[in-house]
Amino acid sequence: MYIRPVAPTDIDALCTMAKNSGVGVTTLPDNRQKMQAKLDKAVASFNKELPEKDRLYLFAMIDPATDEIAGICALEASIGHDDIWYNYHIGKTVHASKDIGVHKITKTLYLSNDLTGSSEICTLFLMPDFRQNQNGQLLSKSRYLFLAEFQELFGRDIIAEMRGFSDEAGRSPVWESLGRHFFQMEFSDADYLTGLGNKAFIAELMPKFPIYVPMLSKDAQEAIGKVHPDTEPALSMLKAEGFDFNGYVDIFDGGPTVSARVTNVRAVKDSQLYTVAVQDDTPAPDLTRKDGLSLVSNRQFENYRVSLINTAAIDGTTLHLSTAQARNLQVAAGDSVRAVALRPRRPSDD
Amino acid sequence: MLVVRPSNFVDLTSIERLLNATDARVTTLPKDRDKLSEKIGQSDDAFKSGVDQEGPASFLFVLEDTDNQTLMGTSGIDTEAGGGYPFFNYRMDAVVHASHHLDVSSKVPVLFLSHELTGKTLLRSFSIDPEHKNSEAFDLLSRARLLFMACLPERFHREVIIEIQGIFDDKGDCPFWDAVGRHFFGIDFNTADYYCSVKSKTFMSELIPQHPIYVPLLPEVAQGNIGQNHEAANRACQLFYREGFSKTVFIDPFDGGPVLTGELNNLFTLKQVRHKKARPSDVVGGLKYLISNRSLSDFRCTIGTLVDGIGETIRIPENVAEALNVKEGDPIAYAPL
Repeated sequence: MYIRPVAPTDIDALCTMAKNSGVGVTTLPDNRQKMQAKLDKAVASFNKELPEKDRLYLFAMIDPATDEIAGICALEASIGHDDIWYNYHIGKTVHASKDIGVHKITKTLYLSNDLTGSSEICTLFLMPDFRQNQNGQLLSKSRYLFLAEFQELFGRDIIAEMRGFSDEAGRSPVWESLGRHFFQMEFSDADYLTGLGNKAFIAELMPKFPIYVPMLSKDAQEAIGKVHPDTEPALSMLKAEGFDFNGYVDIFDGGPTVSARVTNVRAVKDSQLYTVAVQDDTPAPDLTRKDGLSLVSNRQFENYRVSLINTAAIDGTTLHLSTAQARNLQVAAGDSVRAVALRPRRPSDD
Repeated sequence: MLVVRPSNFVDLTSIERLLNATDARVTTLPKDRDKLSEKIGQSDDAFKSGVDQEGPASFLFVLEDTDNQTLMGTSGIDTEAGGGYPFFNYRMDAVVHASHHLDVSSKVPVLFLSHELTGKTLLRSFSIDPEHKNSEAFDLLSRARLLFMACLPERFHREVIIEIQGIFDDKGDCPFWDAVGRHFFGIDFNTADYYCSVKSKTFMSELIPQHPIYVPLLPEVAQGNIGQNHEAANRACQLFYREGFSKTVFIDPFDGGPVLTGELNNLFTLKQVRHKKARPSDVVGGLKYLISNRSLSDFRCTIGTLVDGIGETIRIPENVAEALNVKEGDPIAYAPL
């Protein structure tokens, strides 16, 4: 499997994928026209036809055996740049009176655009048939090597919005207790409209005054900053890379935003440059194992590639590739590549 | 005979007894002897001060049955709500959340903290012996204040307000308080109420939530109680509506009860009031009137019968003259009961 930028011919595959993603992946709209616009934007971004802040880097994971698209992921260069980016910031209000011996800290939600200008990792979706063999890890983390290579094109901070908690029926307690009063629509409808890029309605309908959290329902209070159970593994992965909850939540479902300085992301910070040597007795990666694997990128921009190799193929400053691996990465002997361990070292490894 | 007069220190124990017997809470009269004594002192100063006195003053009246010297009720006026401090209310307002594109439009009620009513004249401290709450004594005690203001209008704001008791249950639980204030004050309604009357007013500024409150986020019961009076206050409300008071967009920040407002000069009592010279007489008969003397420091008001007519003088029953401490030729004021 390898990662490459999306191409104009990917449109049908992307639409199929959107149909499969369902509620919760707001950046993957099930609407061909919108998807085409998104694809066009990504293609223009890799062609450097758009201003840096407007760019959306959309990547596809390819199964080299069939050339089928197995998944996609994206990097947004700068959020809130051509529309308005909203979050609730979980702040505090303190009420205290010495006279009657009261000191109360009240969680308070403040509508904010604070994350404007950050970069975002988004739109991760892997087809169910491919959810194995470290494909999820490869797909998600391929973006960090792009960030490491082209830091000047991104913001100081990188964020990820996590899908918020909802029950088996898809009911979001935060939406029921807060948004519904102002939007008069179902969560899935609001979610769909946001996915279409229809942000104006948020500004028109969203409550502008701060919200005292204790005034929300008990289950809504508990759901603020809590991820959907299906999203727990993704959250753990991000945390292991150095991301952390930054106090901002989604205005609809209360899902947390996690963030990190780009330079502090483990896969960015620890990545190193190597020189390629091509030889066919290179040890193959064992994709059934979690350790012993490394991500390798070809350091190119419009022809960016990433795939997984056996860490044992790295020898000093030389990185060995098989002919097939070199073909997937579109590199030749003597080229420079960037690599990093797929997973951070666990404390027990020391 | 039932007479309304200024309170004095001798009334202290009687007022305490009364407060313990009444069912509706009286926030502005503390069940605390020192604080109560302080209130009476302030009122004493107010009654003794001249007509041209400036700054906030607080008048406290009592209703006494002169036949047996029994105290039956209290009522008061603050010339300036807040007494120099902010006077807190929530203002019920609305914001419209509309999207033409989505064909969604909702008018969302929002409570905004307000000091708008600060400095207006406030009727307060009303309490009456439960035995008399359905008698004309109730009207006398409440409206005597209006006759007092009619005699001294320049001392009061042209707008008069009253906070009406909001809804709480027999156990003292108040849904509006539990939904709003309790989150920030961390105490139950009765305790908050008690602190309000005995503590300095700064705790209110320190603890009350400053951000607007979206009403739809409150529990339905609390929403329903906004601007609603406790049933114990029904009679008071009826009386004030008859006088020309009306509901405002303001509510009590603790229990959500309504705030009524009226324009002093347009109140029924002030429009009907006649100022004449008294002629005590043994002639009886006529209609019932509220009758008061026009003394500031020794104000008296009672109910008596008279026959209104033209001329500078008016005959009043001798026992009324005695109760009001007026002699032939002294100025009096009267208005229909």
